[in-house]
Amino acid sequence: MTEIRPEVLPGTLDLLIMKTLSLGLMHGYGIAQHIHRLSGDALRVEEGSLYPALQRIQLKGWVTSEWKVSATGRRARFYRLTSAGRRQLGLEESGFHRSVAAITRVLRGAES
Amino acid sequence: MTIGELWRRLRFWRRRDALTEELAEELESHIELLARDFEGQGMSRAEALANARRRLGNVGRIRETSRDSWGFPLLDAAAQDLRYALRGLRKNPAFTAAVVLTLGLGIGANAVMFGVVDRLMFRPFPYLRSPGHVHRVYLRSTDRGREVVSSATEFTRYLDLQRWTTSFSQTAAFTDRSIAVGSGAAARERIVALVGQSFFDFFDAVPVLGRFFLNEEAAVPKGANVVVLGYGFWQTEFGGRDVIGQSLQVGPLHCTIVGVAPRGFVGVAEDGPPPAVFLPITTYASNHSNVRQRENYYRNYNWGWMGMMVRRKPGVSRDQASADLTGAYVRSWNAERALSPGLPPAETAQPSALASGMKSAAGPDPGLEARTAVWVAGVALIVLLITCANVANLLLARALRRRRETAVRVALGVSRARLLGQCLVESLVLAVLGAAAGLLIAQWGGVGIRRLFAATGTATPEVITDGRTLAVAGIAALAVGLIAGLAPAVLAGRARISESLKSGARGGGGVRNRTRVRSGLLLAQVALSVGLLIGAGLFVRSLDRVKSLRLGYDVEPVLVATPNFRGIPVTDQEQIAVGRRVLQRSRELPGVESAAWAGSFPFYSSSGTGLYIPGIDSVSKLGRFTYQNATADYFATMGTRVLRGRPFNAQDRSGTPLVAVVSESMARVLWPGRDALGQCMKVGADTMPCTTVVGIAEDAHQRSLIGDAHLHYYLPLEQFGEGEGFILIARVRGDPVHEVETLRRELQKEMPGEGYVVVRRFGAMVDSQRRSWRFGATMFSAFGVLAVLVAAVGLYGLIGYNVDQRMHELGVRVALGARRMDVVRMVTRQGVTLSILGTAVGAALALFASKWLQPLLFDQSATDPLVYGGVAALLVLVAVVACVSPARRASGADPNVALRAE
Repeated sequence: MTEIRPEVLPGTLDLLIMKTLSLGLMHGYGIAQHIHRLSGDALRVEEGSLYPALQRIQLKGWVTSEWKVSATGRRARFYRLTSAGRRQLGLEESGFHRSVAAITRVLRGAES
Repeated sequence: MTIGELWRRLRFWRRRDALTEELAEELESHIELLARDFEGQGMSRAEALANARRRLGNVGRIRETSRDSWGFPLLDAAAQDLRYALRGLRKNPAFTAAVVLTLGLGIGANAVMFGVVDRLMFRPFPYLRSPGHVHRVYLRSTDRGREVVSSATEFTRYLDLQRWTTSFSQTAAFTDRSIAVGSGAAARERIVALVGQSFFDFFDAVPVLGRFFLNEEAAVPKGANVVVLGYGFWQTEFGGRDVIGQSLQVGPLHCTIVGVAPRGFVGVAEDGPPPAVFLPITTYASNHSNVRQRENYYRNYNWGWMGMMVRRKPGVSRDQASADLTGAYVRSWNAERALSPGLPPAETAQPSALASGMKSAAGPDPGLEARTAVWVAGVALIVLLITCANVANLLLARALRRRRETAVRVALGVSRARLLGQCLVESLVLAVLGAAAGLLIAQWGGVGIRRLFAATGTATPEVITDGRTLAVAGIAALAVGLIAGLAPAVLAGRARISESLKSGARGGGGVRNRTRVRSGLLLAQVALSVGLLIGAGLFVRSLDRVKSLRLGYDVEPVLVATPNFRGIPVTDQEQIAVGRRVLQRSRELPGVESAAWAGSFPFYSSSGTGLYIPGIDSVSKLGRFTYQNATADYFATMGTRVLRGRPFNAQDRSGTPLVAVVSESMARVLWPGRDALGQCMKVGADTMPCTTVVGIAEDAHQRSLIGDAHLHYYLPLEQFGEGEGFILIARVRGDPVHEVETLRRELQKEMPGEGYVVVRRFGAMVDSQRRSWRFGATMFSAFGVLAVLVAAVGLYGLIGYNVDQRMHELGVRVALGARRMDVVRMVTRQGVTLSILGTAVGAALALFASKWLQPLLFDQSATDPLVYGGVAALLVLVAVVACVSPARRASGADPNVALRAE
């Protein structure tokens, strides 16, 4: 029996990124750190999928980006949630809660 | 994909180079931040950096995946495939040239033939409003048990059909004539469109100058002297000036120009030069040179000279329209019968009418030329199939040669779909190049083919590659690209990787299977080529037959001159006097051997009148009898042989006993089993005195090369109707082409006033009758030879390829003691077997099609064993020739090379 690695559930990466960005402007590294920290070190975001995902969400128009100088004095690209992104986030969050609740019900039902 | 997303994608795509750099910088900074974290955990700088890089993973992959958002991945792949295909084609110019040329010939042939058939049958007339509702009226009746279909009708009939039908919102009478337009030396014979009331209402055309005809200008019985100019004529003759109100002479009429038709307007002229001018049809009829016709054209039924077009009312089907017309035609038939009781009753004749295609080729009786054109268009399609098979074969051969490369690429992870896409892109590129070559060929070859096929003297420069033809060529190219590209693509996709990697370009298990596919393609090519060649042989022999056919006169040395007395009120007496002078003049010319004067002429005009024979109830029941009134020299001038009795001579004048010469067939039909010489015929009415048959002439074709009944007789001009029609026939000694102008110049001197003479070569007139067979023979031959060449190249390629593949095996055979001759025989046998099989299949196809081809041939069986045998022999010969070079190579197989390779 292999140990199940705590990875981001497929399809939820976009959701996590947008939720993170709803807190404010953030660069890629910051997003990864934030998710890692908030999940109690349980979730690790693969950098290999973080950046393509950011491109994808930008294409959808839910996130925009701009180059800024960070607190440490480095140039970095900061991402920001757009108003369309905020609406999308709401939709995806409630959708996620519904499916988690449904999955949980099924799992409980199977146990009993 | 939403609009916004598309727009952003486009924006990202335009910035994709900058974005790539930005991403690199972003990743760099990510690594740096990670590394600082690691350093914070107590790692050394180098260790931290290495760790950070490891965490980030494959930067290349991140870039590739991000790039998917920056553009159009499918398009990018297609563009890449395109570049790859173009590079491959450039590297292999011989292959590319072979494929493009083959495709070009196939597509070009189709573009040309589509153009011909489209023009003949489908393309609507310019400006014609909703052409689907416009029809030409065809009249059918049964004459002596044979159904006769005609699109020519009488003006009276037109009025009847117009009056007694309710299905049509518009009707119009129309026809055209070749009439001298202009005055003095500038006068030329031109196409004059004669059009009735409301003709122009069928079109959405607006005159560029002035107006079209008013209804009263085309009124019955007498139209006004007004003309509308054709655009081309207006441009060339008047330089596009304002000509409204000016006078233009058309035939004898001085007409006022009231308008100019717009560019491209041809009315309903089917082919050849567009009409120079439009004249009210009733103006023409009410000024006709024949008094009886000009006074009665709208109330008698003996001058079928024009066509009728109709527009269906909305909601009226074609069948309903035809039924309505038939009812009116029956009524009209009865009206005609009241005037001429000799007409069979409607119950017997079963008159019916049909609303059918405006173009006669699309009507119920398309004629030989149109039917031949449809066949040749079918042949062009077959050529395209052959081309397709050949290109598929070439591509397949190439795919097999590149098998190892393909296997390597599959092993490296290129998806099958991508490989298939690449094959398709490559074949589509080839198809597009082929289409371009085809259109060039069509433009260049099309002019010649049009000249071969269409009426002589097309005035407008022809653009073969118009929009419709371009579309067809494009579709053909796409189809060929897909078909020819998919076969090798599918086969290439199936390549087994490990096997190909192991054995390299040589050998491997699938070879036999693929050779079978290629052999099958080749077999199809050979079979189709054989079919075409058999068709070619049949048409060539038809043409030979029709050329060597004795027509009942000599054709080549005969010139036909028709004087036109226009603008002068010439009495019959004056005309006869001029005629005699012209005849005399032509006899004095050194180039003229003999000359005669006749009232009508084969393939130009014909005359008929009532004929009564004592002892026979109704002569007209036996067939349609035509006659020619001619001077005594007629037989010598035409070269028509009088088989028994005597021709006319100078003693057969008015006042002497009436005499006639009849054709062999006529003698046989009228007096079966008896001697026709000395028999009595009454010409014109049964109250006339006897006309005695004094001679029997050989049968002569009068109106058609096929199915002519030859019921024809000759009367001395001076005894019968000297004033009716005037045609001068001259037999010349020298080159007839050269003599045409000499004769015209000399005869012109005798013409009074503005009269003029037109001289034609009888040879040219008969030639136009032979056009369908010449067209069939030329096109079938050209396409057949093309097909065989393509098949021969294909055969050569296949055998050569097989020899290359088997070099090793052949070497082993030689090492084991096989003689050179055995090897040659083995290689040749394959090619010859293939061609024999193909020939058999092709011959079977031809036999199957022969039933439908038969009516297009002239006195030639469509199952002629000579043609079939000849083609079979030719094909085997071609196969042997195609095998020679590969066989020679095979015989040189070196056992040492073979054994060392192991």
